[in-house]
Amino acid sequence: MPLSCSQLSVNYGRRRALHGFSLAMEKGEIRALIGPNGSGKSTALQALAGLVKASEGRADIGGVAVASMSRKVIAKKLSFLPQQPAAPDEMTVAQLVRQGRFPHVGLFRSYDRRDEEAIEWALESTGLAGLADRTLQELSGGERQRAWISAALAQEAAILLLDEPTSFLDIGYQVEVLDLVHRLSRERGVTIIMAIHDINQAISASDRISLLEKGELRFDGEPKALAESGLIEKTFRVKGRFVEVAPDKPPHFDVELTKLPPSNS
Amino acid sequence: MSTKASAIGQPSPWVLPAAVTLVLISFLAAVFLGIVDVPARDVLSALTGSGSPEARSIIFDIRLPRIVTGILAGVQFALAGLLLQTITRNPLADPSLMGVSQGATLTVTMFLLFTVYLANPNSHSVNELPIAWLPPAGMVGGMFAGGIIYLLALRLDLSPLRITLCGIAVGAVMHALAIGLIAGWGSARIEIILEWMSGSLYARTWDHALFLLPFTVVGLAMLPLIYRPLILLRFDATVARSFGLSYRRQFSLVLLVSCALAASAVGAVGPIVFVGLIVPHLARFLAGRHFPLVLPLTIVLGAVIVTLGDLIGRLAGGAEEVPIGVVTALMGVPVLLALLRKIP
Ligand SMILES: Nc1ncnc2c1ncn2[C@@H]1O[C@H](COP(=O)(O)OP(=O)(O)OP(=O)(O)O)[C@@H](O)[C@H]1O
Ligand SMILES: [Mg+2]
Repeated sequence: MPLSCSQLSVNYGRRRALHGFSLAMEKGEIRALIGPNGSGKSTALQALAGLVKASEGRADIGGVAVASMSRKVIAKKLSFLPQQPAAPDEMTVAQLVRQGRFPHVGLFRSYDRRDEEAIEWALESTGLAGLADRTLQELSGGERQRAWISAALAQEAAILLLDEPTSFLDIGYQVEVLDLVHRLSRERGVTIIMAIHDINQAISASDRISLLEKGELRFDGEPKALAESGLIEKTFRVKGRFVEVAPDKPPHFDVELTKLPPSNS
Repeated sequence: MSTKASAIGQPSPWVLPAAVTLVLISFLAAVFLGIVDVPARDVLSALTGSGSPEARSIIFDIRLPRIVTGILAGVQFALAGLLLQTITRNPLADPSLMGVSQGATLTVTMFLLFTVYLANPNSHSVNELPIAWLPPAGMVGGMFAGGIIYLLALRLDLSPLRITLCGIAVGAVMHALAIGLIAGWGSARIEIILEWMSGSLYARTWDHALFLLPFTVVGLAMLPLIYRPLILLRFDATVARSFGLSYRRQFSLVLLVSCALAASAVGAVGPIVFVGLIVPHLARFLAGRHFPLVLPLTIVLGAVIVTLGDLIGRLAGGAEEVPIGVVTALMGVPVLLALLRKIP
């Protein structure tokens, strides 16, 4: 199994951000991680990547505990797109994307053809080839986000964790990124988890969905089953209904733009 | 190819050669010019081994060791400043802000107190002061301050702003202690400590250059090892680690290198303020977005600024020369203000 975790718990000081989170990924699977703000999605991804310390439980890559691996070994197998990464403003897109090759080139080896090809491919897949020499501060929010996705791609890891990869993108690039995710999974067998806020994108773009609420796993299963469970309305405290779009496609969640009164349950 | 930097934003190809030429020019100017007027012909013949013993003594025993010490110290200050600014992600970080200089000041003061004042409280003679021991004494204090900052940084989990604040606090405490010790001393010692604290190349000998040389050499030799980590250390720790960097280890290594460079330089020539702060900014400004140039430019400009600053100090003051630390401080302010206008 490329990636799994069992009973992961993470505390920030005395606040418990994640409690007993478990997950098992098949090779090439796409998983959407959904949940309200502050429900622990980013924390779960960071714990899987070994970037925050779990107080209980463990995460494994290929059956080996993440906690026992060096950062370099992890980075060769898993790349991670943070939610709101900060970079030195005067760095160019190309320089940022090159950093994705660090686990492969290490401290001394010079960049060879393989590395340059990976960088080129990463830039092209995110539509950035023309912007490679711009500095990050000369980019729009969406372009900057694509630059970060590009850096994660250049790492060429078999596991990809994406924290809200589409949140700053226009609808065209949202579809493009989701399409790229699909191709990576189907053509290259990349195992992907993405935290995402758009319920309908989560439902249509993923094989399975994990739903978090207040740090606890509420649901783990196929999109269709989530639609039937009624958990979306309850967890996000909205009114809406699932409508059939096409017989062979997962249903579409249609939200009403009035808020439910606060529940007392 | 799209990943190669295009013509736009490339620094002019002559930036680095020009900077290296500047080193040579300032070096030669510093050898040929001085308070004691040695004619150029005599300097040349002294350099080639002939010439009057007097000219040779001025060149080989006074000017050259002083210039070489200055170059080594300048390179070390500039490099230490660049490393500290990178790992703290704070454009204001430099050895004086981070407490290294103050740590050195404290141990130098303590050293003078114990070896001289307590040993023979009545002496006011400068001759008896063990000046040769000041560099290692200062170095110990600088490393000590660096060690405290390192431990605090580890405890507080390496947040860049907190590290900087720790450095300022540690520096303030050590500075206050040093001043407290000095208040109550006889005049000869105060003169020595004041001269040292102002950052000076006055009366520096080959011993000082030899003291610095191993640190400069090792520091420069470490650069290929920390070059790629330095780029990654400019990111958030989370990002750097997800790119495969052992953040803690590399951070500690770079901090150690920068403290060793700064502490040994402070020990040898006193805290020459602003070199560590200004030179990296100047290098970044000249390099533009071409990051690989920043490091070599920092090294070269560190040597230039200290050599020229010392030359100006020697020529400007006449018999009472102006210490290099004062010159760099005075020159540094306008440069800093000019550069600040470029920073949004
Ligand atoms: N570094 C931190 N220190 C302290 N508390 C934190 C930290 N990061 C997150 N938290 C808290 O942990 C909880 C989970 O946060 P997390 O970032 O995982 O949520 P999220 O599901 O990703 O939210 P969002 O949708 O807003 O991105 C929140 O209550 C948050 O306030
Ligand atoms: Mg989040």
